Amino acid sequence: MRSNPLAGRAGAWLIYLVVLGGIIGGLYVATQRIDYSWNWQRIPQYLISNEGQERVAPFDGFVAVAEDGHSLTLKEMKGSRSITIRDFDELLVGDGDLVFENDPLARKRGLVAGPLLVGLWMTLKISALSLMAALVLGLLIGLGRVSRNSAVSGLAATYVEVIRGTPLLVQIFIFYFFVGTVMELSAFTAGVAALAVFTAAYVAEIIRAGIEAVPRGQMEAARSLGLSLPQAMRHVILPQAFKRTLPPLAGQFINLIKDSSLVSVMALTDLTKAGREVVSSTFSPFEVWFTVAGMYLLLTGLLSYLVRRLEKRLAHD
Amino acid sequence: MTESQVLIEVREVGKVYGNGVVGLRGVSLQVKRGEVVCIIGPSGSGKSTLLRTLNALEPISAGEIRVLGESVHDPRTDLNRLRARLGMVFQSFNLFPHRTVLDNLMLAPRVVSGVKPERARERALALLAKVGLADKADMHPGQLSGGQQQRVAIARALAMQPEIMLFDEPTSALDPEKVGEVLDVMKVLASEGMTMCVVTHEMGFARAVAHRVVFMEAGEIVYEDAPERFFTAPANERLRAFLGQVLKSA
Ligand SMILES: Nc1ncnc2c1ncn2[C@@H]1O[C@H](COP(=O)(O)OP(=O)(O)O)[C@@H](O)[C@H]1O
Ligand SMILES: [Mg+2]
Repeated sequence: MRSNPLAGRAGAWLIYLVVLGGIIGGLYVATQRIDYSWNWQRIPQYLISNEGQERVAPFDGFVAVAEDGHSLTLKEMKGSRSITIRDFDELLVGDGDLVFENDPLARKRGLVAGPLLVGLWMTLKISALSLMAALVLGLLIGLGRVSRNSAVSGLAATYVEVIRGTPLLVQIFIFYFFVGTVMELSAFTAGVAALAVFTAAYVAEIIRAGIEAVPRGQMEAARSLGLSLPQAMRHVILPQAFKRTLPPLAGQFINLIKDSSLVSVMALTDLTKAGREVVSSTFSPFEVWFTVAGMYLLLTGLLSYLVRRLEKRLAHD
Repeated sequence: MTESQVLIEVREVGKVYGNGVVGLRGVSLQVKRGEVVCIIGPSGSGKSTLLRTLNALEPISAGEIRVLGESVHDPRTDLNRLRARLGMVFQSFNLFPHRTVLDNLMLAPRVVSGVKPERARERALALLAKVGLADKADMHPGQLSGGQQQRVAIARALAMQPEIMLFDEPTSALDPEKVGEVLDVMKVLASEGMTMCVVTHEMGFARAVAHRVVFMEAGEIVYEDAPERFFTAPANERLRAFLGQVLKSA
């Protein structure tokens, strides 16, 4: 029945499923033809491993194992430091052994996060920190863009042009090799700074557009009541601009999560870098990259879900 | 009347907009305490421009404006303090849509004058009662009719306890049946002795309430007079033509 809207929706779903199934089937056939052997069973251990946690030697020294085998003491070779470890399940060294810094001493069994999860956590940390920094910086630059002081608005416009006119990867290199070296930043700080500076330019444009979309009469009404410019911004203009900027800001932050994969060029083990490392130890690139893609999708999906809920809440009041 | 009772003194003010359009030329005007002055004139004659220079929403190019003893366009004047003593009502209401009616009234007293929340609330509720909207305190502006919004806007301006009220075509955006409720509020204000400058096309209101009516054309004040003579026997050819047109179309 053509006029039945349910039939129309069901039909659309059918087409959706058929096309999606066709694409997945096509991928499967394609991998068959290159004779790829799938090893999905290797992947879970890189998410969560039961290998447990190794305790490594903090310095070069000699090992002394207690008679009951439940504690281990390491005495420094060239100094007087010593440590004792009791909390382990399995000894990896023997009494009297000479070990060097970072050699494994003992292992504690149990589930620990595998490299992919550790990488995901790093990606999450980098994204969240640069997101907050980008919001603050972007707000300042966005306010600068709408400033009546032409020196301020000129500087803000230049910032936006320069940042948007150069590739993020190049900016990351500049932050890592130049700014990072000059200011003695860690790779982590340099990565967060590069992403924040990059994202702030886009945030600034979104905020400028949001401010300019608030009718002029709002500012005039606020000023005619005696509010100063900052007071009018804070109490009247920005709250209205914020609502309008939420969707594009969310889009920008989803981009940020994805862009954060570029910091893997630094000595930072984010999700993408972790993926590369796992590939080189498993030789299962397809499975690993599909898994990594799925993990990014999980992050971005979660973020858009949260933003949609926030939008709904704001729409009510 | 003594010199101290002149609240608004506009002297030979000229205004040229950035794009070269002349908004005002050689405008002079005096408004005394308790006076209601209505400004009429064709569209584009500079009525809004004149009103907006009074609280420095627009800068001026020539002349001087003194309001409440302060030189409005002197960079040393504390504009925020001066504006707080000067209420303004706009054609398009310009209520803050993200805040409730009550919050619209409380914002400036709290932020600008530092009035305690309880006191600001009390005063806001009293003003809402005065404009007949006590039951709308918790609504958002979008839920009100145009006439109600404009009455809220008047109450919002009054919440700062201004000494002068400026109205820029307060009823022009309203449905005809809502005009009366806004004019009624303004009449009450006038009867309480509020000093008012009202740009309006409501000739009936001007005639009934104004102490003086000013006619503007092409950025100039062409004629001013007491309402009686202004509307019945104005000594100005262009005003007669304008009134003839307005009355014909009404
Ligand atoms: N912001 C502005 N920029 C340039 N020209 C303006 C601006 N505002 C008003 N004008 C011009 O100034 C003249 C007077 O306008 P206005 O004071 O708004 O007239 P009225 O309120 O009497 O209709 C008009 O020619 C108008 O086009
Ligand atoms: Mg006007």
